[in-house]
Amino acid sequence: MKPMRIVWLVVALGVLVGLFLIPGGAKSQVDVAKEFELHPLVKLPKIGPIDLSITKAVVYLWLTTAVIVVGALVISRILKAAPGRFQSAMEMLYGIAHDGIAGSVMRVGAATWFPYIGSVFVFILVSNAIGLLPLPLGEHHQLSFYAVTGNLNVTITLALFTFVFTHYAGIRQKGAWGYVKGWVLPSAPPVMRELIFVMHIVSEFFRLVSLSVRLFANMLAGHAILAVFFAMALVFQSYLIAGVLQAGSVVLFLFEIFIAFIQAFIFAILSAVYVSGALEEEH
Amino acid sequence: MDSHAARLLGAGLAIGLGVIGPGIGLGTMIGSALQSIARQPELTGDIRTNMFIGIGVIEALALYAFVISLILLFVVK
Repeated sequence: MKPMRIVWLVVALGVLVGLFLIPGGAKSQVDVAKEFELHPLVKLPKIGPIDLSITKAVVYLWLTTAVIVVGALVISRILKAAPGRFQSAMEMLYGIAHDGIAGSVMRVGAATWFPYIGSVFVFILVSNAIGLLPLPLGEHHQLSFYAVTGNLNVTITLALFTFVFTHYAGIRQKGAWGYVKGWVLPSAPPVMRELIFVMHIVSEFFRLVSLSVRLFANMLAGHAILAVFFAMALVFQSYLIAGVLQAGSVVLFLFEIFIAFIQAFIFAILSAVYVSGALEEEH
Repeated sequence: MDSHAARLLGAGLAIGLGVIGPGIGLGTMIGSALQSIARQPELTGDIRTNMFIGIGVIEALALYAFVISLILLFVVK
């Protein structure tokens, strides 16, 4: 038993040294930043400042919507009393959105606002998950990773939904004047009151920034790190380093799956916190 | 030092210094969340939910630094 182990160790070391000695292919320059540029797949005319061209991001958004719609239709057709594997997974997702996010954070208005919180959770989760699949939608139709949530336009739109719904919920609950008055503590002294009011307005806009930039930067950073790991194999020109990097990228990819879920969860839970904050009497 | 070198240096410093504070903050917050879970395991669900809210808020700080360094690298000419 013992000599066999030594033989295997020597073989493994030999393979490693061999991999290190084999020269790689031609040296090539890789520009990681190019991976995230959007080129129009179908050119369409501009309407004012809005470019209607269909880019990779648009196709990914359609794909996300299609997956959600088809998945929802399928799951609603095949509901059974004794759930199978697929149905159990979907029920778990619903449970996370309903009890884990809306139920646990929102003390008021959980029933009213669950549809929004649940859909934003599922939308971000599905688009993050699609971002982890290599799809041939790039410039040269090579297989590549791209997450549509790694695009600031998309995340700002999502954050604007939360922003608008927050204030809509507050105004509907308390009336416009009552809602604005609720921003300031009634017990605050007169000069502090204006200061608190201004600070509250500033913080509302910073919520918008942090909500959108968090999701954007997380997805972009994850994909950029993966791209750097793949690109380094081409830069170093060594099979040993390439093997180590690929093993590392597998670990990073597993971490990215976790991040994809956590970011959807955080976005939905912060939306729930903001909306319920606008609904509550004291906050 | 030409402007390109300054740009690279600035990008590296932005992300490197920018993650120190959020790192300390995340360490403190996850540490105390784990402590409270160990003390009261029956509140694990609640504590974990609130921990993730806090992680989201603190992590945003590090990501601002990341965005700044991306801007320095690819947008500023």
